[in-house]
Amino acid sequence: MLNKIKKFINNGDLRKVRFWIQLVTFILFVYGGYFAISFGSSFPIFTCPFNDESSAICYLISLQHQLAMPTQVIFSMASLGILIGLITFIAWFAVLNKAWCGYMCPFGTLQDWITALRKRMGIRFSTYTQNEFENLSKIKYIFLAIILLVPLFMGLGVLDREWTHAFCQMCPARIISPMFVGDFSQWTIDFSSITVMILTGIGVAFTGLFFVGSFVKKRFFCFFCPMSGLHYIFSKFSIIRFTKEGDKCTRCGDCYAVCDMQIKDIADDVISKNILRDDCILCLKCVAACPEDDALHIDIFNIKTFSSTKEGFNKRMGIQKFKGSIDE
Amino acid sequence: MSNNNQHKIESPKDRQNRHKAMEAIKLLNSIKEDFKSPVKSMDYFYDLFERVYCKNEALHSENVKVGTMCIQIPSEIIYALDGVPIRLCNGFYTDDEIGSDLLPQKACPLVKATVGHFASGNFSDKPDIVFSPTTCDQKTKSGAIIQTFGYDVIDVDFPRTKESEESREYFRKSIKEFTTKLSKFQNKKLSRKNLKASISKIGYAQSLYHELSKYRENTIVPILGIDVFLITNAFFFDKIDNWIEAMESLLVELDNRNKEKINAAGKLSPRIVYTGSPPIFPNYKIPHIIEQSDAIIVADETCSSNRMFNDMVAVDEWLVNDMLDSIADKYLKACTCPIFTKNDDRIRRIIHLAKQYKADGVIYQAFAGCTVYEMEQRSVLEAMEKAGIPILYIESDYSPSQHGQLSTRIEAFIESLKTRRRNKK
Repeated sequence: MLNKIKKFINNGDLRKVRFWIQLVTFILFVYGGYFAISFGSSFPIFTCPFNDESSAICYLISLQHQLAMPTQVIFSMASLGILIGLITFIAWFAVLNKAWCGYMCPFGTLQDWITALRKRMGIRFSTYTQNEFENLSKIKYIFLAIILLVPLFMGLGVLDREWTHAFCQMCPARIISPMFVGDFSQWTIDFSSITVMILTGIGVAFTGLFFVGSFVKKRFFCFFCPMSGLHYIFSKFSIIRFTKEGDKCTRCGDCYAVCDMQIKDIADDVISKNILRDDCILCLKCVAACPEDDALHIDIFNIKTFSSTKEGFNKRMGIQKFKGSIDE
Repeated sequence: MSNNNQHKIESPKDRQNRHKAMEAIKLLNSIKEDFKSPVKSMDYFYDLFERVYCKNEALHSENVKVGTMCIQIPSEIIYALDGVPIRLCNGFYTDDEIGSDLLPQKACPLVKATVGHFASGNFSDKPDIVFSPTTCDQKTKSGAIIQTFGYDVIDVDFPRTKESEESREYFRKSIKEFTTKLSKFQNKKLSRKNLKASISKIGYAQSLYHELSKYRENTIVPILGIDVFLITNAFFFDKIDNWIEAMESLLVELDNRNKEKINAAGKLSPRIVYTGSPPIFPNYKIPHIIEQSDAIIVADETCSSNRMFNDMVAVDEWLVNDMLDSIADKYLKACTCPIFTKNDDRIRRIIHLAKQYKADGVIYQAFAGCTVYEMEQRSVLEAMEKAGIPILYIESDYSPSQHGQLSTRIEAFIESLKTRRRNKK
């Protein structure tokens, strides 16, 4: 019985499963407000509250607010609030690890839909060179530094109020998310001060770039996403592990060929057991595309939940099944 | 005049054919008759080799034959462009002798035999165009020699390192270049549909090989290693649909044998992983001695067998370029050929095979003159020692003369494996 369930999961059509999960969660998180659903303010994905109907609040915006309190306050009992926020964030995150990105994040889903559109049109995706990849991949940490440091400087009084949620002012999710409920008011550059003008200017430009970028490049924005960087810091606390058994890997590169994030280690690293990298969105496409039994697997509480198998590979790649196939 | 027919003087070509037929039939007869409980469905393959190598029957007279000099030329692309891939690596001592006049004394017998074969021009299926990947020195250089015999030989650039990102890019470009050239030659455009179909077909053939391998993991192995070498070797030149059909009926028979617990070897026969220079028909000298000495080959790490079938192509978006890149990656990155600078992958692979197939030992054969395999011997032996896997290293060539010496060494190794097994119990 257990083997049957295992086989069912390992042979599953990941593409379909993912499509439906993404569709449902997109509706849940973007339109949840209509059904009075709320998941609180420490959510580990881009559920942007600039969209009034969003059913959760992105932790990055809460974090920026909390850290922007005057410095004396942060070091008082109020720090408890920050701590609770962080713990809630980690608790949410721990459930799914980075699969939040690959399955839950409405902003990620949107990019996948743009990708699907491109695919329909028969246009090929573009890729970064290894050099570009390494450089661009650092940008998310710069954003993360802005999220953490700018509010602290505000608290110290070094920076003005105009720096309030500085990252959000640049973030394309702020502009795009409200559009889903028909609110296009974020498409503006705020001329009230030079700082705000620059920040919102970057925001509008970034949003334009987002649409162009995610049309030509799979998961364009995720390379720059500071949430992804923050996730990575806590990935060890998750109940989900992404494991690679290097001795079973032949380095054929199938996983790398399907990776939206162009993570080279997935194919080339045969030493690390924990193969989760900071850019990973845990979409599991690599596991689905691996033809070696058990070379890649997802473990929940250290129990193999979804493993790469030859049989599953053949099924997903549309290879005819031999009728007399033996079951192990 | 009528007397002329009866007293025909044998031409060099006839002589070559006769010698080759003798080599072939000697091996085939021995495989058919010297082992207990033969597999019935193997008859297709025995017959195929006899037709091609003893009767010189042409299999592909209606198709364009695309000769390949190594496994790195993707069959997927050749089939998609309406060609038939024919791998020209050669295992005949007769051809080796012809090649010896053209190449250095100490060159690899496989390369000598291949060059000799081209020099004689005596093909049952003569290639219309030849693609030569720049793998090892000897193969690379022999491409140029073959060209002087009047063949259309096109080099396909192949990098000697595979770790760097540059090498990946390089071979991806190289495969695109190959596709363009073949598509020009065939006057046919590579379409998305055709390429996808040929990837699926090869994938199916590979999956059948994987099914076959599953039986070899069992304690009772229903098929001899030498039979499997014949099967995979047939893939070099057979009509793919016939090959697939023969495999399907073979698998059905193996399933029955498995249920009836028919063992191709003895109860105590040591299980061997075979690695090194590729055994190519009819040079099955070493595998033949191994299995005649009461051991059984359960897996191999050679480019004429496992390496050809193991790795499959995965594609994300199924656009032509996406498929080509993935094909290129597979043929470069998964390759464990010793021509590469470092070769930890090969060592990992051998250890993994030994574990997966519960092997008692590894036999590593290198052709005298196959420098890369000879050079890599030391590192592999060291790694096996570390992993606690017994290994025997043998050097051999295509000449029929070494039999006694080789069988003594192999038998001794196999006996020691048996003792080891008994002691473990």
